Amino acid sequence: MENCARCRRPVAAQPEGQARGEGASVLLNREQRAYVQRVYDGPLCEACLQEIQKAVQPVTVRDLSNFLLDYATTLMGAGVHTSRVVRNVNRIAGSFGYETEMTIFQRHITLHILQNQDDSVRRTSLRAIPAAAFNFEIISNLSTLSWQAHDNRLTLYELREQFNAIVTRPRISRWWVLGLVSLANAAFCRLFGGDFWAMGLVCVATFVGFLIRQEMSLRRINHLAVFIVSAFVASMIASLGVWASLGDTPQTALGTSVLFLIPGVPLINSIIDLLEGYVLIGISRAVNALTLIICISLGLSATLLILGTYAL
Amino acid sequence: MTRELIYTLLGDAFFAAVAALGFAVISNPPKRAILISALLAAVGHALRFYLMTHTSLNLPTASFFAAFTIGMFSMLAAKLIHCPAEIFSFPSLLPMIPGMYAYKTILSLLRFMEAKTPQLQQQLVVDIFQNGLTSLFVMFALVIGVSLPLFLFHKQSFMMTRLLKPVGKVRQRKWGRHKDAR
Repeated sequence: MENCARCRRPVAAQPEGQARGEGASVLLNREQRAYVQRVYDGPLCEACLQEIQKAVQPVTVRDLSNFLLDYATTLMGAGVHTSRVVRNVNRIAGSFGYETEMTIFQRHITLHILQNQDDSVRRTSLRAIPAAAFNFEIISNLSTLSWQAHDNRLTLYELREQFNAIVTRPRISRWWVLGLVSLANAAFCRLFGGDFWAMGLVCVATFVGFLIRQEMSLRRINHLAVFIVSAFVASMIASLGVWASLGDTPQTALGTSVLFLIPGVPLINSIIDLLEGYVLIGISRAVNALTLIICISLGLSATLLILGTYAL
Repeated sequence: MTRELIYTLLGDAFFAAVAALGFAVISNPPKRAILISALLAAVGHALRFYLMTHTSLNLPTASFFAAFTIGMFSMLAAKLIHCPAEIFSFPSLLPMIPGMYAYKTILSLLRFMEAKTPQLQQQLVVDIFQNGLTSLFVMFALVIGVSLPLFLFHKQSFMMTRLLKPVGKVRQRKWGRHKDAR
């Protein structure tokens, strides 16, 4: 008695050919057999074979276009520069014998997809890019997936399966992130010449500020408000050093306490896009990043107003 | 190189690595990439520190060379662990992002509106330009420096995540572009 390689239920002993999808009960076509051979190395039960027969179908332009839009919008939401999205989508489409043209804006992607051999098979669709937190792991894994599609000629069903597995992977625990960001900003304070008092203050200020940012983001509060409030709270805590003149460099603590909020990755992406000719989206990203920096300054200037000082 | 200089550089490298590590985990990188980006940040930031204190280079130029070094090493690392190069090169740039200059620009702008005397206004205009241009130039220097290796090795740079080696004719495109069919 062996177990089914897919659902782990016991499966009755079958003639040799069954594992390759040649069983008498369920007839699989060539693409489906290739899929079974590539993915499973044991016998499969009849129910699973039927599911595979239903799911692994010749690709239609509609399914492919929907998948590519999911792929592209997820990638854009994960914080990648535009040319990588265009290349990866083209690569996957090419492995199915299609070519694509894309228009990418800050909030939307328009994808035009066209079969190489028959230009009457084409489709144009538009999809909004969902607001998502940056996720470099998704970028890395989805790029690998696009090469696998290219090299192994994966079926759309497999692509979907792997795509879903990639996007549902858990993030690094938020408490780890909180602790590491606090240490990072303290180290950053040191790079600006802060002493140990300043580093300690910045560590506490960042801890509280970032915690507030996490909590407010979870409650889906407007992200500009989140930035103003976290910058204000973090700088208020750091300003205790100026007020009580702790150590020799309280000003440095005040100045670096808000730097954990600086949107570094959007700034880098915006300039890469500008340099690679995606000028519109480059400018949109720069404007977004600038807006966030203005919010940080507003939060900080509120603290300075309360302290009654301009010196930083 | 004196011993003090080496200690200073090592200290700078260490704190830059901690900073890069913490700022990197915000964007959830793959676990195998985190340490590499910290290492690259240490090399880059220490190099920038050395160039600024011991040569006549200014902040943007030193940032450019530091970012270029990070870019070269990130290509190597990308080849080794099959990740896109920007997965570690971007986080390792984060400690060098001119965030403080950027928000000081905005703060000076805010102060300019309430400045009463022409002397103060002049001082603030200088501040605005000084900080604003510094952050602009440093940002461009960082990004051009880090992506220069990508342009130099253009073809390789997009294949870092490929797990298979391309093998001969078998894996060639089956579907060529059929321009005649249109």
